[in-house]
Amino acid sequence: MAPLYKLTYFDGRGFAESARFLFKYGNIDFEDIRIKRQDWPKMKNMLGTPFGQVPVMEHNGKQICQSAAICRYLGKMVNLAGNNDWENLEIDSIVDTMNDLRMKIMLVQWEQDAVKKRELKDTVLEEIVPYYLARLEALVEKNKGNLAVGRLTWADLYFVSMSPGFDAFIGGDTFAAYPNLKLLRDKVETLPGIKEWIENRPNSDF
Amino acid sequence: MAPAYKLTYFDGCGVAETSRFLINYGGIDFEDVRIKQEDWPQWKPKTPFGVVPLLEHNGKQVGQSIAIARYLAKKVKLAGNDDWEDLEIDAVVNTVQDLYQKLVPIFSEKDESKKKTLIETAQKESLPYYLSRFEERVKKNKGYLALGRLTWADFYFATMSPMFDLLTGGDNLAKYANLKGLREKVNGLPAIKKWIEARPKTPF
Repeated sequence: MAPLYKLTYFDGRGFAESARFLFKYGNIDFEDIRIKRQDWPKMKNMLGTPFGQVPVMEHNGKQICQSAAICRYLGKMVNLAGNNDWENLEIDSIVDTMNDLRMKIMLVQWEQDAVKKRELKDTVLEEIVPYYLARLEALVEKNKGNLAVGRLTWADLYFVSMSPGFDAFIGGDTFAAYPNLKLLRDKVETLPGIKEWIENRPNSDF
Repeated sequence: MAPAYKLTYFDGCGVAETSRFLINYGGIDFEDVRIKQEDWPQWKPKTPFGVVPLLEHNGKQVGQSIAIARYLAKKVKLAGNDDWEDLEIDAVVNTVQDLYQKLVPIFSEKDESKKKTLIETAQKESLPYYLSRFEERVKKNKGYLALGRLTWADFYFATMSPMFDLLTGGDNLAKYANLKGLREKVNGLPAIKKWIEARPKTPF
């Protein structure tokens, strides 16, 4: 039987890896569709989503985009969500916070002007990244080794799936100076389902 | 008795207004704390991640405007009836947010000529691209952004779209009858209309 879920994205981790982690953790069969760069212009118009964005998840003939929204849905499905509305708020809040950090990094990568890019990168590396990481480190310590509600949630998988991207940006191990974040990464990367996925997933430079 | 909820933000609508709309729509008693610009330096270090809005309830404090709005929406019954419906609402909200984030650099650009270029690009590209598609959606969804009925996605759009105008200096919904109609519908809800009349008058 064909998988119930289809996930379409570029051939890389990027904004889709968090969903792939959740599918793998939950042992949910999904079709992992990867668009090659040269095929994107053609595929963009063929995608059913009006905003021409990926990742796109398809289920029951419906297509939906927006990676964080998809992950929240999958998080509930694989029992990594909150037990009540306030817990879900705490999880959502930390996910949006890490998206803020990622956006600040993406703004550097999108900057065309070489001088401005250099200045921006220095600010992000020297001020913004440490600001966020110090606070995330403290939060994980307070939350018994997880980012929210004192236990494993989809926020932890979402965060760890992003970490190779942070490493690529800073040119090293993002969590070198942050033992609790390092432990969290190790914990998530060795979860059943995730461990095998990381070993077997296609290689990509993003 | 003190209100059960406290919402802290700057003294303006900004990204907190969605939550203020939801709170008023649901008749929830809340303390509407507004930080003056000159007091922000003292406040910032006391926040979890240096940003507002913050929602406080039962001694706990949480940030992130969209997360807060989603929580409040459930309380006031403007969320989905199941996980897939919530996903559909979330996806629309995040897409409106994408448009807003494309416009935000206009605000921080100090160079006047670069700012002008950013505004022109937004008016020629991002705004028509997104707004025309939202317009189609609202037409197909019986006048709403999701699920064919009023949800917090409509509140999000109604409160974020004035910022498109603030950033670009235009009336961006003028050409989009359904989007304009949607915003007017939200603003015309009795509790919202009352709030709009009563709220502090602020530049943003």
